[in-house]
Amino acid sequence: MNLFSLFITSFIVNNIIFSQFLGTCPFLGVSKKIDTAAGMGIAVIFVITLSSIITYIVQKAILVRFGLEYLQTIVFILIIAALVQFVEMFLKKSSPGLYRALGIYLPLITTNCAVLGVAINNFKIGYEFIESIVYAVGTSAGFMLAIVLFAGVRDKVDNADLPESLKGSAISLITAGLMSVAFLGFSGLQL
Amino acid sequence: MKNSYVKLGGVLFIIAAIAAGILAWLNDSTKDLIAKNDAMASMDPQVLEAVMPGSVMFNEYEDPALVKSIKSENEKFVNLLTAVDASDNELGYVVRTWSTVAGYDGDMELFIGFSPEGKVTGVSVITSSETEGLGSRTTEPEFTSQFAGKDASAEIVDFEAVSGATKSSNSFLSAVNNAINIYNQYLK
Amino acid sequence: MNKLDIFKNGFINENPILVQQVGMCATLAITTSLVNGIGMGVAVTAVLTGSNIVISALRKFIPDEVRIPAFVIIIAAFTTIIDLVMHAYTFELYQALGVFIPLIVVNCIILARAEAFASKNGVLDSTIDGLGMGAGYLLAMILLSSIREILGNGTILGFRILPEAYEPMMMSVQPPGAFILLGLLIGLVNCLSKKKKAKKA
Repeated sequence: MNLFSLFITSFIVNNIIFSQFLGTCPFLGVSKKIDTAAGMGIAVIFVITLSSIITYIVQKAILVRFGLEYLQTIVFILIIAALVQFVEMFLKKSSPGLYRALGIYLPLITTNCAVLGVAINNFKIGYEFIESIVYAVGTSAGFMLAIVLFAGVRDKVDNADLPESLKGSAISLITAGLMSVAFLGFSGLQL
Repeated sequence: MKNSYVKLGGVLFIIAAIAAGILAWLNDSTKDLIAKNDAMASMDPQVLEAVMPGSVMFNEYEDPALVKSIKSENEKFVNLLTAVDASDNELGYVVRTWSTVAGYDGDMELFIGFSPEGKVTGVSVITSSETEGLGSRTTEPEFTSQFAGKDASAEIVDFEAVSGATKSSNSFLSAVNNAINIYNQYLK
Repeated sequence: MNKLDIFKNGFINENPILVQQVGMCATLAITTSLVNGIGMGVAVTAVLTGSNIVISALRKFIPDEVRIPAFVIIIAAFTTIIDLVMHAYTFELYQALGVFIPLIVVNCIILARAEAFASKNGVLDSTIDGLGMGAGYLLAMILLSSIREILGNGTILGFRILPEAYEPMMMSVQPPGAFILLGLLIGLVNCLSKKKKAKKA
């Protein structure tokens, strides 16, 4: 698979939310307004890409070399937590504007399973270094696409006249299901 | 202040060290099973096709007691499997066994398939550490395919060894013959 | 709170999926068949109970400042234990659940219980809390995965229960079905709990 089709596949065809279900928690929790959704999306792209690069190097240079693959989960989650912490401190010092925009989403990202999911999938699928970066960028861009689109739809849904019991997360899930139908259509894409 | 950092770091370190220790022990005690599972999973369609044409999966043999008794009597035997096709029809038996004669570098582990008519359907190598380029040619289809269709009522004597790798070839043959003996003794 | 209340709290009143709505990723992803649903439910219960026990036992030893990283390490260790055990002994299930086994570590329900319950309560109570929350998770998984398997395949645990003539609703085992059916299930739970409240009032 060439890099371009890998990107499109991870971006749209195997969309991380609508077909892989990773990162559904923040997807349902944060996506109430388009601009906050976009902020979250950008923060996620940043963290997923960076963490993929770091975990890839750590996995190849340390874990595989010393036969410690079984520590993968612990090491990866600590790397991600430390990375998020570090990004937060760095942004606070170097670019307060960006920090104000993204800051509140950063702590939430540690428990976003999309981040750990992408890091682990890089090895489960067996990507090379460059491929894993493309996969990380494509997948996290897919997350942003999904969360922004969903925020737009949800704005309307929240104002709709609904049965009392379906209000809140029930209708959100059903809406997400209908959007997922649309994304299912991409699976026929020949790449 | 400094002391408290040392303490915090110390506590985290102790927890991490204990966790790593437990995991190391567990990893050690499960790794053989995991390796075996992965080997089964990585059985690509080519292997299935080579051992038993038309098969999609090798299932565990229906009678575990028999497998156990073969194991106790034949130390090279690993497992007995049933090959099935896509609609779950049984196609024949597959014996997984090590060779009884060592090659250049230890034993080889093979799958040997048997049809209900008593013929070898095919052979494929699971584990072999024979010399790259010479003994390793015993794992290639040019060599292994000669066993397909051979009569399994008695040990195979005539075969074409890989030239320059007689020892590896004989090791390979010993595994096939071990499987043939098992087949004749228990499955007929 | 007595022991039964602690269990019931997790199992029904604050059911992690149907009421608190956390830890949705795996719920949506792997509930394509009942076997998977039960497998995932048991795995999560094991990690949740194990980490609750250890965290409550160590709660006086772990300084407050580093409790979150310490919890994460403990949870990750239990997740890895489950991962290795399943890889070795329940291989088919391990393959079906795939990346969602290591992802148990970021399942919000586990860290949430560590922080909200295990770090403040004794070992026995924390064990019951873990089992109760785990059972609640398992219940939701069983509900959703049976619905999806019946609709999408006409079978339950692989046994055919709908007649051959039933045309399987493929959508149900595909991603959209997961979202829509879970949404409807939560709607139903909302509806039932409202009725119950109305009765009490």
